[in-house]
Amino acid sequence: MAAKKAARKSLNLAPVLDLNEANALHGQLMGLRGNALVIDASAVERVGALCVQVLMAGAKSWEEDKQSFTFAKVSDAFTKTTQLIGVNIDHLMAKEI
Amino acid sequence: MDMNEIKEIFFQECEEQLAELESGLLRLNDGDRDPETVNAVFRAVHSIKGGAGAFGLDDLVSFAHVFETTLDCVRSNKLEPTQEVLKVMLKSADVLADLTNVARDGGSVDQARSAQLIRELEALAKGEAPPAASASEPVAPKAAVAKPAAVAKAAPVEPVVNEHGFAPVAFSFDDFGGDEDDAVGDLPAYDIVFKPKSELYTKGNEATLLLRDLSRLGEMSIHCNMDSLPPLDQMDPETAYFSWKVSIKTDKGEDAIRSVFEFAEWDCELDVTAVETGEASDAATDDLPMQPVPFDLSALDGDLDVPLGVVEEEEQIAAAQEAAAETASNVVQMAGNASRAAASEKSVAAAAAQNNAQQASSAAAPTIRVDLDRVDRLINLVGELVINQAMLSQSVIENDSNGVSSINMGLEELQQLTREIQDSVMAIRAQPVKPVFQRMARTVREIADITGKSVRLVTEGENTEVDKTVIDKLAEPLTHMIRNAVDHGLEMPEKRLAAGKSAEGTVKLTAKHRSGRIVIELSDDGAGINREKVRQKAIDNDLIAADANLSDEEIDNLIFHAGFSTADKVSDLSGRGVGMDVVKRSIQALGGRINISSKPGHGSVFTMSLPLTLAVLDGMVVTVAGQTLVVPLTAIVETLQPDAAAIHSFGATQRLISIRNSFCPLVDVGRILNFRATQANPVEGVALLVESEGGGQRALMVDAIQGQRQVVIKSLEANYTHVPGIAAATILGDGRVALILDVDAVVSASRGQSLQLESSLAAVG
Amino acid sequence: MKKKVLTVDDSRTIRNMLLVTLNNAGFETIQAEDGIEGLEILEDANPDVIVTDINMPRLDGFGFIEGVRKNEKFRAIPILVLTTESDAEKKNRARQAGATGWIVKPFDPTKLIDAIERVTA
Repeated sequence: MAAKKAARKSLNLAPVLDLNEANALHGQLMGLRGNALVIDASAVERVGALCVQVLMAGAKSWEEDKQSFTFAKVSDAFTKTTQLIGVNIDHLMAKEI
Repeated sequence: MDMNEIKEIFFQECEEQLAELESGLLRLNDGDRDPETVNAVFRAVHSIKGGAGAFGLDDLVSFAHVFETTLDCVRSNKLEPTQEVLKVMLKSADVLADLTNVARDGGSVDQARSAQLIRELEALAKGEAPPAASASEPVAPKAAVAKPAAVAKAAPVEPVVNEHGFAPVAFSFDDFGGDEDDAVGDLPAYDIVFKPKSELYTKGNEATLLLRDLSRLGEMSIHCNMDSLPPLDQMDPETAYFSWKVSIKTDKGEDAIRSVFEFAEWDCELDVTAVETGEASDAATDDLPMQPVPFDLSALDGDLDVPLGVVEEEEQIAAAQEAAAETASNVVQMAGNASRAAASEKSVAAAAAQNNAQQASSAAAPTIRVDLDRVDRLINLVGELVINQAMLSQSVIENDSNGVSSINMGLEELQQLTREIQDSVMAIRAQPVKPVFQRMARTVREIADITGKSVRLVTEGENTEVDKTVIDKLAEPLTHMIRNAVDHGLEMPEKRLAAGKSAEGTVKLTAKHRSGRIVIELSDDGAGINREKVRQKAIDNDLIAADANLSDEEIDNLIFHAGFSTADKVSDLSGRGVGMDVVKRSIQALGGRINISSKPGHGSVFTMSLPLTLAVLDGMVVTVAGQTLVVPLTAIVETLQPDAAAIHSFGATQRLISIRNSFCPLVDVGRILNFRATQANPVEGVALLVESEGGGQRALMVDAIQGQRQVVIKSLEANYTHVPGIAAATILGDGRVALILDVDAVVSASRGQSLQLESSLAAVG
Repeated sequence: MKKKVLTVDDSRTIRNMLLVTLNNAGFETIQAEDGIEGLEILEDANPDVIVTDINMPRLDGFGFIEGVRKNEKFRAIPILVLTTESDAEKKNRARQAGATGWIVKPFDPTKLIDAIERVTA
């Protein structure tokens, strides 16, 4: 996607994205604002609704910033959970990979 | 570990809880108002109820439940634990103990009594005064009806087959992603709106898991409402923003849907509406983009090999559900089979887990439970070791008169070590007398009830430890003595008041260690021994001559004579043909002694002194007619070398020895035991002054004293047969078997001259 | 990887039942005898789910749950309460303390495993 001059950053998600991880994830994303972001969710074993909220809020904010926010790799668990709770991330999947 | 073993643990635990219950109630009775005391009492009953419920012991559960409810009133300060209330509770504790025993061993309980107590407890819980006891009242039908243990065991715990969570999933993968499907088209449909609150997450619930469980009920479409989700910088990561609208087709019913959210009920908004078939998806998809939910949710279970409840393991689920229909214990078994059938690494891991658990629990509790048999075996083996060591020492000494110092020193060290091992091993079996003392509290209550006396039991030194073998044999004589103390010792309340005492009598039970023995004292503040009455009775029964000159102490000790009873009429309690003589005999059989001292008007004190163990004995090794005998050291008052001038003949065969201006019957041990036909010459031997029944003294004649030593007691009955006049046997250092003299049997036989005539000796054992 | 369950109960009977049931169902089981011990071994045990009794000496179930919820690392953990009281009051207090769910005694292996499954991934 047409990323601006800003650097492209990547973020590896933790295996367990529970209540505790929501704050941490939120902090990480806040620190990455203004950059194109590629998220690696391949290690995720468990993800709770709160972390999905944080990620979706991130996607929204990145969209406002006109920066790209994509998932490069996702684990089976991650895909299935988002599908289960009706959160569509298809449009956030990195096309080039 | 199987269910029976756990049940065994349950009953052990019950005993502890019952002890805890009783001591807590007694503390409350003494005015203790510490909330933790009430809590501990409540917990004890609660815990018994919990375990009993798991084993389907319904009688126990229902009684414990009523008891617990009343205790809860005390706990929440709705009921003041007055003496009256505690009286009911202490009796209830007794019934609870009875019910526990019945559940374990079978038999029956006094149904009228437990029904009456249930009524009293219920009345207390309702804030009423307890109804007066009346045996004629009809027995409540369900309350605490005793069942044999076998029946109780068979009573199944009501299995609850849960319909949600991991119920078999009633649809196929072909349905996935399909449009409206014929197969499920006819199933009832529901629209669900689910709005979690933030608390749902902070309490450890998880919307994803709830939706997972929901999806297992049927074919489901979902829409996630993200409208309230703010941008990243304005959000609180722990606030719930998402809500969901779900359409599901299921034949499980609305209740199944609601029970998915059972744990989250308070922490979410939930709206479930049944939709007319056919309209369901239309209505749902009209305004919202619904996503069909895939059924393959195994990934949600992570990489765990969850044994039950995963879609791929449908067969296993079916098996598990079948199992659930069986009794609770069967379920465990089935689950056990399932896991055994699984990979063996599982069992290795299970063992590791158990290790882990054991480590975790051992870190907290510095005690372990050991089968008593194992300890007994160890004690026996150490006994053998002591004997073996003594034999070794002896043969070294005999074969090596020069005394090679290194060997002797080594042997001395070995002896020291053996002693220490023996002491340590004996300490394993040592237990506080507390449980026995607690049982006495119940005895006191029961007798006080029957006699109409008001009695308070005070115990001291309950943590004094003594060998378990002694404890086990202590309860019976002690119970009898307590009965006597309350029944004969204490006066009726009116009489006490008239005598200027409080209406409530006090019975005090104390235990302490004194010079390697345990001393148990039982005192009462009753009228004391009526010496005139005792004396008269003794004369009537030909126990003493009418003109006999007896000291107060001698009169008091007359009550230990066989068949002696001072109660005017034979009462229901102590007069069951068992007198204090039996008590004395059983104490003596334990190697103990009992004494009484009484103060008219102020009460009596019984003092028992017992060995700390029945496994070893300090004895004096003596020679009688070429035989080696061991005389328990505790029986010996002193030893003396008789002087010809001190010996006096008395009648045809009797002889007396004068010791410090008093005469004492001389007992020829060799003659009594039939070791020899003729009387020995006292001047050539040694006299052992022993204390005998009734407090009088006897001089036992033996040929020579070899020395003193600790010996390991070997039961003669177990290895040979009972021999009159002999208490047990032991093995000496040189390997010879020596008999341990039963001093009291010999003394009482001395009156009849020969042991063969004394058939009653068998009871002395 | 097995799920790890920390059980907290002062009754030896119930502890053994939990141990047998959970091990047979393929869980790893760590046990504590009261709330204090439960909090002490929490870190080492590092459980996936906790099952706790309410009536316990030293520290009861309510206090224990509050303690866990205050622990930065374990505050998100699912906690199931073993309770004989099916009345709303006790459940409510447990919930207010932060319990995730409950298992109503008498102890039933099926109910136990079911409840654990419900609150764990």
